[in-house]
Amino acid sequence: MDLSYIFIVCLLALCSADAESKQKSGRGRGSMWWGIAKVGEPNNISPISTGIMYIDPAIHSTLRRKQRRLVRDNPGVLGALVKGANLAISECQHQFRNRRWNCSTRNFLRGKNLFGKIVDRGCRETGFIYAITSAAVTHSIARACSEGSIESCTCDYSHQTRSPQANHQAGSVAGVRDWEWGGCSDNIGFGFKFSREFVDTGERGRNLREKMNLHNNEAGRAHVQAEMRQECKCHGMSGSCTVKTCWMRLANFRVIGDNLKARFDGATRVQVTNSLRQSSNAVPVVSPNAASANNIVGGVSNANGNGLPSSVNGYDDEERMLNDHMPELLLENSHGNSKQHHPNMPSPNSLPVVGARARGHGRGRQGRKHNRYHFQLNPLNPEHKPPGPKDIVYLEPSPSFCEKNLRQGILGTHGRQCNDTSLGVDGCDLMCCGRGYRTQEVVVVERCACTFHWCCEVKCKLCRTKKIIHTCL
Amino acid sequence: MSGTILENLSGRKLSILVSSLLLCQVACFLLGGLYAPLPAGHQTVLGTKCRDDPSRQNDSSFFLYSRGAGACNPVQLDEIEDDPLKMANQLVYVFQMPLPRNNRVLDYSRWQQNLIGVLQVDIAYVSSSELSEPPKDLQLTIEARLAYRNNEDGDKDWKLYANSVEHRYLDCHPSHVHAKETLYSCDIIPLFELGALHHNFYLLNLRFPMDSPRQINMQVGHMHDLTLTAIYQNGGFTQVWLLLKALLFPFVVGIMIWFWRRVHILQRSPALLEYMLLYLGGALSFLNLPLEYLTLGVEMPYMLLLSDVRQGIFYAMLLSFWLVFAGEHMLIQDSPNKSTIRSRYWKHLSAVVVGCISLFVFDICERGVQLRNPFYSIWTTPLGAKVAMSFIVLAGASAAVYFLFLCFMVWKVFKDIGDKRTSLPSMSQARRLHYEGLIYRFKFLMLATLLCAGLTVAGFIMGQMAEGHWQWNEEIEIQLTSAFLTGVYGMWNVYIFALLILYAPSHKQWPTMHQRDETTQSNENIVASAASEEIEFSHLPSDSNPSEISSLTSFARKVAFD
Repeated sequence: MDLSYIFIVCLLALCSADAESKQKSGRGRGSMWWGIAKVGEPNNISPISTGIMYIDPAIHSTLRRKQRRLVRDNPGVLGALVKGANLAISECQHQFRNRRWNCSTRNFLRGKNLFGKIVDRGCRETGFIYAITSAAVTHSIARACSEGSIESCTCDYSHQTRSPQANHQAGSVAGVRDWEWGGCSDNIGFGFKFSREFVDTGERGRNLREKMNLHNNEAGRAHVQAEMRQECKCHGMSGSCTVKTCWMRLANFRVIGDNLKARFDGATRVQVTNSLRQSSNAVPVVSPNAASANNIVGGVSNANGNGLPSSVNGYDDEERMLNDHMPELLLENSHGNSKQHHPNMPSPNSLPVVGARARGHGRGRQGRKHNRYHFQLNPLNPEHKPPGPKDIVYLEPSPSFCEKNLRQGILGTHGRQCNDTSLGVDGCDLMCCGRGYRTQEVVVVERCACTFHWCCEVKCKLCRTKKIIHTCL
Repeated sequence: MSGTILENLSGRKLSILVSSLLLCQVACFLLGGLYAPLPAGHQTVLGTKCRDDPSRQNDSSFFLYSRGAGACNPVQLDEIEDDPLKMANQLVYVFQMPLPRNNRVLDYSRWQQNLIGVLQVDIAYVSSSELSEPPKDLQLTIEARLAYRNNEDGDKDWKLYANSVEHRYLDCHPSHVHAKETLYSCDIIPLFELGALHHNFYLLNLRFPMDSPRQINMQVGHMHDLTLTAIYQNGGFTQVWLLLKALLFPFVVGIMIWFWRRVHILQRSPALLEYMLLYLGGALSFLNLPLEYLTLGVEMPYMLLLSDVRQGIFYAMLLSFWLVFAGEHMLIQDSPNKSTIRSRYWKHLSAVVVGCISLFVFDICERGVQLRNPFYSIWTTPLGAKVAMSFIVLAGASAAVYFLFLCFMVWKVFKDIGDKRTSLPSMSQARRLHYEGLIYRFKFLMLATLLCAGLTVAGFIMGQMAEGHWQWNEEIEIQLTSAFLTGVYGMWNVYIFALLILYAPSHKQWPTMHQRDETTQSNENIVASAASEEIEFSHLPSDSNPSEISSLTSFARKVAFD
């Protein structure tokens, strides 16, 4: 124990050329998919044209094999992913518009990372990017499910006993019976599951950086979950509450961005702990979760072929697994309002993706994959609290972002707009790093004083306003 | 003959009967708990934004849809954000139900009975414009069109179901505050209620017209997301529910016929309480009648209203029965004549009548009007909400008056019984048995009623508290919400079934009466002759049409005479 601890401290202290060169290949492993934000023109994407989009060679170069399979097996998901990636970029740029690093994306080139080389460093900004992209995918997939643009979204059968008739029939007939019998309540959990499968693909949690990425990806999803709100409607006799139906409502992504930005400001710098070394290369510790890992395989592989009934065994275990991953979250939610737990979250159904392939992976692989979320990161400063599931973690301090440094992927703040009256980071002193700024007066032409007529006429005036703009030298 | 079956039944037989009825009750509970799914399901549909066709904006046969051949090309969010006017008057929000799931195109089944639509609105206000936050009473004007399509129709063949221009008041709270733009999420607003889910697919097109001269929607900021939650009854629940009704219906009708024949064998005309029991059974049978099976073939949008009315009639009958039952056991009565509803109980029952009528008027105003316009809701206008609220308050007040009055009557009966009980040991055996029987009968009903009412209340509260299901162990899982619904429904059936059996007139003889050949005599006279040593009793003005139940009354009067 002590020995390994010392070893890790040494590793951290050395955190230099040797480790860097080794990890370089693994760093951006899970993050290349961000490039799909630039696939095609986002405006042209509609659920129908997914077939055309799939041929786009950019997809081939950005997505890993498993991700490509997920996209292929879930028609319509690509559009949602593109939307999600763009949502993450615009939200990140919105949150960081007043900071030296403004979440700029580079022109997408094959084999390069969308956010540039900054991702190679394990700094706060990188942590934020991982969290917000994972959150955006979760959010966007869940939205696409309720928009009807992904047909493979699953139903929430967790609160339902299946009709015995359905058990005797196979395939889609059973599915139709199921829908007629017990309906198909929403399953926001599909977004979370898909995000896990898709976003976390390359992150096996082997080294510290991959653990950081995994943690931040989970944090992003946790924020989406924490912002879900329950809504209820009574529809009993004469509209009384003898019968009540409740469902979850997703928050606006801007709210999630706000929360993530707050976590960015209070992010935790972490180091490896003892338990990490043990769990990453040793046999999985015997625990209820390890035992359940095997069942999940059964559940996943059966869900595709035989319809629902056979996946029942797996589902309880999977539910437990999800609960284990987000225990504090669930607790936190039940604190505020005891009625506000999330019935949709621990969703019973697996993605209809893994199919026959999952069978081949066998227990060992699944067990490891399952365990990759089980690690505890410790703060570098032992007086700080250990990071919670919603916290953003990072490994190394951020660069100053003042000067252009292409080797590190930093664009610098030259030519950025700033606010001459502000004392914060968006103020011209801090933003321009003391280089000074230029002041210009610009005339902006806007439409104003519009009058509307139904139907369909709009008349506006053109207004000219003068604006003073400061830009950094 | 005298008395009811309840008094004359031996303890053994009674316990067998009660325990078999309890078994039925448990079976009803388990039917809902183990077999039925949740009572209602829901799907949340996010509105797809489509560009409107300006030339067909007033054409109510024109529909935009988001899936299938010829679907509209959705407008992306950033396209709207980039537009300086946020594409006002150019967008249609499209909701196509049900959503596809598990790689299947789902369609509504007629077993799913009804569809309720609830809308959630997210709006944003830009700080730079003159209106940076929503006004207090924010009115939203919605031009709504609902269309349907069936399996055999083509993707384009949407047919108009209903259209209307609706006003709703929004209650919004900020969810994200920022110097440039503030986001508000608004409380859910009811949008439509369909009493019949007759078709396979439904499509909702919403437009939010903006008009400066008429001040329509000018105060609503920039519309962000629109989410429609469509709530339907689960088909499995409908099947279980109707199965339960269809099973209970013949039993209750059968026992009613048995009861009425038994009453008619007597040489007297039926007493008020016997009429009340029969009416109660009739109301229950009307409630049990599985009319919903017809909706599988015929479109019956009035089904929601009808089921409210049926439940209302049943509850009104039950409440009246309790009042009359307590009244008939009152020991001091004003008039010696045979009690009828009109002569004695109209005052007592006025609370029930007022309550029921006000609820009925409210229901007609809400669900009755919805037959014409499914988008209508009385709650959406401030005046309508006040009217609806006053009806409900009136109903609540009459319910309170009723219960106070009922409690008072029950308390009075118990007090009288307690007072008169002291004189029981001094009576002859036959009379004592008879009166003890009457008291027992009353107490038995009180106990059963309290138990049922308590369980009903507890059931509904538990149904609210317990979210979803309850795991017994690995295999058995109990669907609590459904279990409480079927359990409570079964319980009132069992209750009334038991009343009809136990309170039917008995054919058994009193032990002392075997010496006399007066079986045809009315029960009062038998009692009088059996207690011949008390001469005063026979001097009492005897009822022209006495019933066995009013014998307690005459006993009381006699004691008062002493």
